[in-house]
Amino acid sequence: MNIEKVILNASKTDCTGCSTCADFKADNLRHAIARLNGVSKVKVDEITGKVTIEYDTQKIILSKITERIEKLGYQVEILSREEIQ
Amino acid sequence: MREHVKGVILVILLGLFALAGALTSGTQVAYAHEISIALTLIAVALGYRIYLHGIRSLLHGNVTAQLFATIAIFISVVAGLVLPSASATGTAEAVGYLTAAAIVAFIILAGMTLEGYIIHRTRGALEKLINMTPTTARIRRDGTEVEIPIDEVKIGEIVLVKPGDKIPVDGTVIFGHSTVNQATITGESIPAEKTVGDRTFAGTLNEHGALEIKVEKIAEDTTLAHLIQLVEEAQEKKAPIQNVADRFTTYFLPIMAVLASVVFAASYFTLGFEVALARTVTVLLVACPCALSIAVPVAVAGTIGNASMNGIIIKGGTHIEKLKDVTLVAFDKTGTLTIGEPKVVEIKTFGNYSEADTIKYAAIAEKFSEHPLSKAIIAKATEMSMKIPDPTDFKTIPGHGVDAHYGNKHILIGRKMIETELSEEANQLMSRVESEGKTAVPVALDKNVIGIVIVADTVRENSSEAIQRLKSLGIKTVMLTGDNVRTAKSIAEQIGVDEYHAELLPEQKVAVIGELKKGNVVAMVGDGVNDAPALANSDVGFAMGAAGSDVAIETADVALLGDDLTKVEYAISLSRKAFNRMKGNIVYAFIWNIVALSLAAFGILNPVLAVVLAEAGCISVVINSALLLLSKPKSLAKIKG
Repeated sequence: MNIEKVILNASKTDCTGCSTCADFKADNLRHAIARLNGVSKVKVDEITGKVTIEYDTQKIILSKITERIEKLGYQVEILSREEIQ
Repeated sequence: MREHVKGVILVILLGLFALAGALTSGTQVAYAHEISIALTLIAVALGYRIYLHGIRSLLHGNVTAQLFATIAIFISVVAGLVLPSASATGTAEAVGYLTAAAIVAFIILAGMTLEGYIIHRTRGALEKLINMTPTTARIRRDGTEVEIPIDEVKIGEIVLVKPGDKIPVDGTVIFGHSTVNQATITGESIPAEKTVGDRTFAGTLNEHGALEIKVEKIAEDTTLAHLIQLVEEAQEKKAPIQNVADRFTTYFLPIMAVLASVVFAASYFTLGFEVALARTVTVLLVACPCALSIAVPVAVAGTIGNASMNGIIIKGGTHIEKLKDVTLVAFDKTGTLTIGEPKVVEIKTFGNYSEADTIKYAAIAEKFSEHPLSKAIIAKATEMSMKIPDPTDFKTIPGHGVDAHYGNKHILIGRKMIETELSEEANQLMSRVESEGKTAVPVALDKNVIGIVIVADTVRENSSEAIQRLKSLGIKTVMLTGDNVRTAKSIAEQIGVDEYHAELLPEQKVAVIGELKKGNVVAMVGDGVNDAPALANSDVGFAMGAAGSDVAIETADVALLGDDLTKVEYAISLSRKAFNRMKGNIVYAFIWNIVALSLAAFGILNPVLAVVLAEAGCISVVINSALLLLSKPKSLAKIKG
């Protein structure tokens, strides 16, 4: 086990920002990331678009995670990355 | 789920504080007024999610109901604290502004929570699929059976699946025989036979026999996992009609700014400051731009979710809009309308020879041939539970047939191999069979024709039903094939397509699609691999039987995971219904906004009523869109058979 915590910003141009829509997108994003093998924790802030992910570096690499988010139509910017365990 | 519980608790707390605030203001306790104000302010503060959304949307230059609500609540709070009439003695009237702000916050937050919950439920289809995958697998390691978490299973290991268990991996059956319900993938409820050599998919249900499966794909690499990812991506893709809705919402801010100023100014000069303020707040609260912006994405998600539960993957909102306009469906013949593998359909014998003799000698001669006709004959022999001995020698002459020996017997197969004249009876049979588009294979033993094996590709069980359903929608059907005209005509008549084009090379199929597109919106249905160019050139490309073929799923706009062609009509009917609903929702939201805004501007509504109206409008749109998930297009019920 080698857990790393990454915080990134996921933004999308097509959401007009109303709360229902934002909730909806955040919900989708959260599930999509959580289902990746090796990801242990996901938090999506539907207001700021900030995504916090904890994952096992022995099971998945960060680029796999960001690729998945990009496939859902988001632009990804990594804000911070640290080893926590 | 935890999110929703948190949301509900927040709503309840907000309501309780607002209620407590309102109740204290009427009592005679010391500092009743101050306590009431404090409680009400806490209530308002508990609506923080509204303000965060509102402020964020302002920062992003978007217009949302939360933004208007934030402004309205802010104005009310300031008015409640500052205006002399509001801060006077502890009468209900005096705390009116603050209480109104708290009630408004309560209703909006409750609405947001409810919508969030409905939206979450719209994911239901996906969640159902996801829950299909077992999290553990029973495998054989070092001679013993162990149950381990699915992500510790390695490719190439053997998974044991008991009757009634779900299959945890994609793989090939290496031992056992069973039926497997593959509805999670294909949407078809009739179970598929699985025996040694057959492929199985993770998430499907093993019914009555035990199976041993060699692991090929696990976790995120399985077909089911790919499908789930595909559906997720599709749900995120915008439908073009959303641009119409988005355009409305961009005009919303300037219109609202002008309207609010006009209402304020007009009421200020005629009815005074407080009335003007109340009306302006009402105007801001009644506006519901969200109903416009949410209608389409939720409908798209609901539609794609519905389709995926039926074994259809629609790859985005754009395709829903294209599907609804389809006026012509072109089908590839071999492997699409037909099963694509020739089968022995009839055996005619001569003299004292039986059907079994004919098949036996034919099978001996064809035993080592890879030709589709040989396979059909050998399959028939196996079906008749024959043991086929090896030929002593054999020679295959491409395009002609086979010349073989078995002991001292000489076997010839194929019309061109047999030099002797055929009998009148045999000749008549041969020409009848060929006019029906079937293939006749004469079998001769020591130069005497002992029988004729008739081989044909068979039409899929539900091909003609699929065509009938499309016709009932007023859609024209066309068959494209590389086969000869005779075969094409025979199959076309059997299935009932309106038109057929025969003897086409793959590039000619593309040209025909181009021709058909003049004046028609064309959907093309094929296997997604051999006819990929034709699919790509049509308006909507359907790949059928796509489960397990990533290429087919990738090429197609719509992937039918099973072999059920009636799903073409389902996809079209569903899309028509979905589009009508999206359009209806936009019109409804638009009219709703105009009516509500007019009522507010003329002072017919108060702020609390306004916010109730706005939320009702928004929630009805969301529910209406989300219900697409469960809807069944009408035509399905109408046609049976």
